Amino acid sequence: MSETQLRLSAEQHYAHELAALRAEDKGPRPPNWQLSPNAVVTYLIGGKSPSGEGISAKYIGNRRLIEIAVATLATDRALLLYGVPGTAKSWVSEHLAAAISGDSSLIIQGTAGTSEEAVRYGWNYAKLLAEGPSTGALVESPLMWAMQEGKLARIEELTRMPSDVQDTLITILSEKALPVAELRMQVNAQKGFNVIATANNRDKGVNELSSALKRRFNTVVLPPPASLEEELEIVQSRAESLGRALELPNEKPALEEVRRVVTVFRELRNGLTEDGKNRLKSPSGTLSTAEAISVVSHGLSMAGYFGDGSLKADDLAAGLLGAIVKDPVQDRLVWQEYLETVVKERDGWKDIYRASRDLI
Amino acid sequence: MTEKFKHQVFGIRHHGPGSARSLKLALEALKPDCLLVEGPPEANELIPLVLDAGMNPPVALLIYAETEPQRAVYYPFVRYSPEWQALCFGASQGITTRFFDLPLSHRLVEQSPLESSELEFDGVDSHYQPSLEQDPLFYLAQAAGYSDSERWWEQLVEERLSSEGVFEAILEAMTALRQEVKEASAHEERREAFMRSEIRRALAEGFERIAVVCGAWHSPALQDLSGLKQDKATLAKLPKSKVKATWIPYTSGRLARASGYGAGIRSPGWYDHVWQYSDNALAGRWLAKVAGLLREEGIDASSAQVIEGVRLAEALAALRGRASIGLDELNEAAYALFAGGNELILELIAERLIVASELGSVTERAPATPLQLDLEKAQKSLRMAPQALEKSLELDLRKDNDLARSQLLHRLRLLDIPWGEVLPSSGKGTFKELWQLCWHPEFVLRLIEAGYYGQTIEQASSSKVKELAQGATNLAYLSQLLDDSLLANIPEASQELVAMIQLKAAQDPDLSHLVSAFPRLTHVLRYGNVRLSKDADLSTLEHVVKGLLARICVALPAAASSLNEEAASKLFSDIQNLHASVKLLEEAERADWLATLEQLASSNLVHALIKGRSVKLLLDEGQLEPAEAARQLGIALSDPEIEKAAYWLEGLLKDAGLLVAHDDELFTVLDSWFASLSPEAFVRVLPLVRRTFSTFESPERQAIGQKAKGVKGTKSQQSLSLNEVRGEKMLEHLALLLGTKGEGV
Repeated sequence: MSETQLRLSAEQHYAHELAALRAEDKGPRPPNWQLSPNAVVTYLIGGKSPSGEGISAKYIGNRRLIEIAVATLATDRALLLYGVPGTAKSWVSEHLAAAISGDSSLIIQGTAGTSEEAVRYGWNYAKLLAEGPSTGALVESPLMWAMQEGKLARIEELTRMPSDVQDTLITILSEKALPVAELRMQVNAQKGFNVIATANNRDKGVNELSSALKRRFNTVVLPPPASLEEELEIVQSRAESLGRALELPNEKPALEEVRRVVTVFRELRNGLTEDGKNRLKSPSGTLSTAEAISVVSHGLSMAGYFGDGSLKADDLAAGLLGAIVKDPVQDRLVWQEYLETVVKERDGWKDIYRASRDLI
Repeated sequence: MTEKFKHQVFGIRHHGPGSARSLKLALEALKPDCLLVEGPPEANELIPLVLDAGMNPPVALLIYAETEPQRAVYYPFVRYSPEWQALCFGASQGITTRFFDLPLSHRLVEQSPLESSELEFDGVDSHYQPSLEQDPLFYLAQAAGYSDSERWWEQLVEERLSSEGVFEAILEAMTALRQEVKEASAHEERREAFMRSEIRRALAEGFERIAVVCGAWHSPALQDLSGLKQDKATLAKLPKSKVKATWIPYTSGRLARASGYGAGIRSPGWYDHVWQYSDNALAGRWLAKVAGLLREEGIDASSAQVIEGVRLAEALAALRGRASIGLDELNEAAYALFAGGNELILELIAERLIVASELGSVTERAPATPLQLDLEKAQKSLRMAPQALEKSLELDLRKDNDLARSQLLHRLRLLDIPWGEVLPSSGKGTFKELWQLCWHPEFVLRLIEAGYYGQTIEQASSSKVKELAQGATNLAYLSQLLDDSLLANIPEASQELVAMIQLKAAQDPDLSHLVSAFPRLTHVLRYGNVRLSKDADLSTLEHVVKGLLARICVALPAAASSLNEEAASKLFSDIQNLHASVKLLEEAERADWLATLEQLASSNLVHALIKGRSVKLLLDEGQLEPAEAARQLGIALSDPEIEKAAYWLEGLLKDAGLLVAHDDELFTVLDSWFASLSPEAFVRVLPLVRRTFSTFESPERQAIGQKAKGVKGTKSQQSLSLNEVRGEKMLEHLALLLGTKGEGV
């Protein structure tokens, strides 16, 4: 692990927490697991190790979801983390792998161009030509390593892979074996092997899982943050650190403005005002927390470069419009209706109403 | 049972299948000669009815004040209520079985909070938490880390103790718990004093083995029967009123509300399952049920998934350190296995399996319900005897008696008892109503079934409407309900409906629902309804109407784009209606509406029919100069797409023949446009104009023709000049009519 490494993996970054949990973990461990299921849940949700060492929360949200995820992996079922973009799916997957296998690096990234070789195995063609089919010429995929070593393999954005490539997983998940027909052999998975896949349910044009494959996964849906305060905290701190990283000429984002952005996002996403009194239509976009962060940091840079440095309604209006109105017809109506029925009447929101009205 | 006590106390959990099972076993073992059950003694006579073939739980004991039936308490029972099992046991063994709680005749007179809160139906509250007194076992279970008290009980009973031992353990736990709670309320003290005195009475009567079944919380207090004097003092001088009792059908879905027995339950369907199947395959059976339900609904659910579901539920239970699987784990397994992120599937499972509301039935031998009595009373006082023969009845709503009759009929209709059908009345006024009356015998059954909605027709129809409103999804239905409830004069429900409409207005994706609800609401707002009570608060409704209009104004331009002919003509009449309603509103709202009309008139995407009508409406409102209207007419009719031009003209003039004949402004617009046409252009548009004009009545066309002549030249003035010879002939008759015979005119 070097000082200049841009980002540390979960098991490097939180090595001390994992070590503390492991040292005191008395619970029964499934074969090849580094921690007991209970300790894994504690690692993800945060809390204290038995001797009182603080464990930071990796996932802020419902404990039950993490319990379902861990229990799923403990029963040899593959886990599918599902949800709208920006809900910490990959983050949870990385930490689960780090806590359970001590290794979060066995990743296959799903893209439209992911080939079957990337999932199963490929060939070193120079060797293949020179020696003919042999184990030496085989290029193993991360999935294959995971099977041999009894670790967790991670598949990112499963639904972005072409369907035929997805389906190569079926045998692996049900037979727990990967045949290599060319060598007349088969790689058998060791205990502890399992797959965590992530997929998002909002992207249009994704390759829906076949029901045969779907049946082999337990699905856990990660929802957007449950409360305003929770989300506010995430947005505020992320926007601040992003601003620092990009060296924007700004001051700290005004909490009040951030609160308004988060409120707008939450209300439109939930289709309900925060006071629970008025129903709203929701736009077609996801309005994830990540997008709220980008609206705020966009507003910050507007304020920094073109304004007086402090975040104002005018700086946010354009960002809001851009984030909310993804479909020029339907979303515009939603946004307009929201402005007229909610923003217009809310005390102290006149500025944001006017700024947004002018842009439509 | 020890020598010391001739009575044994069984502390149970109301509606707990686990308690019910343990109690049944314990009673069979004890073979008591007297059974005392927590419940109102006024219902003692009704106990033998539990064995009647017509009794199918869920049912409820309804105890109500004779003079004031709105004041009432329900004691619901399901198959797995320990009390129900005790009553059935007592009745079938033929042993003395009594309710021994403090009589409700003492409670229904007090100004206790029981009056309003217990009668409200507030649906299933997922955050409902029983108080410590109501369900202490819930807290013990929570302390043990269970969110499902029944699973906790199950484990306690089936894995650790014999069923007799469990009641002793509960007694001990409750004794400890009660020491923590300082003061019991005066009411609770009275109840327990009464229960103790009833046990003493049974002992005095010479019973040897008395089984006492009561809520767990009370069990320690009923153990020790000393303190006779103090109990007498507590029970002295209690107020009294006359109460009546009967059995009514109940729904398990309503068990969630707190009433009578206090503790409500949130998952009656699951408890029923637990009651029926106590074996190890409970979880498998449940998930198989879930899979069956999903298959019925056309959702794939395989046996393999059920197997994996049971495994996941087991793993989850183990992860949480529990020895057996509860509803929580099963729900989570169903969520991961079947739902795949679809919340609707979970809702479906909750609605159809976990709550699984079923309606019970009661024997015909049960006394008449207050609702029946209330109807009889109303029929007598309004002089409307039920008859099986069809008969029509005309009501004049200005008369009090007739108005009350109309309201009664409308209320009954809301309760699904269509004793009368409204016939279209011949008179135009709103004060007349024509009914066709016919009484069917099955109405009595429906009336009994409606018993759980309330004790009077008014109250019952009101809570029924509220329940319907909760389940309603579209706005048109809600505004229909509002209309009905205004007719039935149930102001409370009307108020709630207004609130519901506000909620739903935003959700409803279908503009036509908004549009169809709007005129009705505006009308109520502007004129009030003749039937709306005078102090009704209309400000909420005003807010709703304004919000509705704002939404309509935003959505209308898009909704009017790219329509086919059918949809356009539907929207045409909608806009017509909207316009009429908006006229009843204040200036600000009207301005918004007119701005929307202008948008419609000028947008190129909007269907021509709508554009034409918008121009017409704007012209009517003086929002558009006649010259400008003429210009737009010109533009529209020179459209190369003849169809479009024809629609535009139709939109402008449809149903407006008379208007063209008599409204100078509109006429001038048309006339000046015609005058401006070149001969070629005239020939081109002639068919279009003719097509629209042919829809006018022939007298209208004549009048228009006349008018056109009149404008063209001065000749027409002459045709109106006086024909003196013919005129004089009339003078004589006129004089006769005016009674001025002989004098000049």
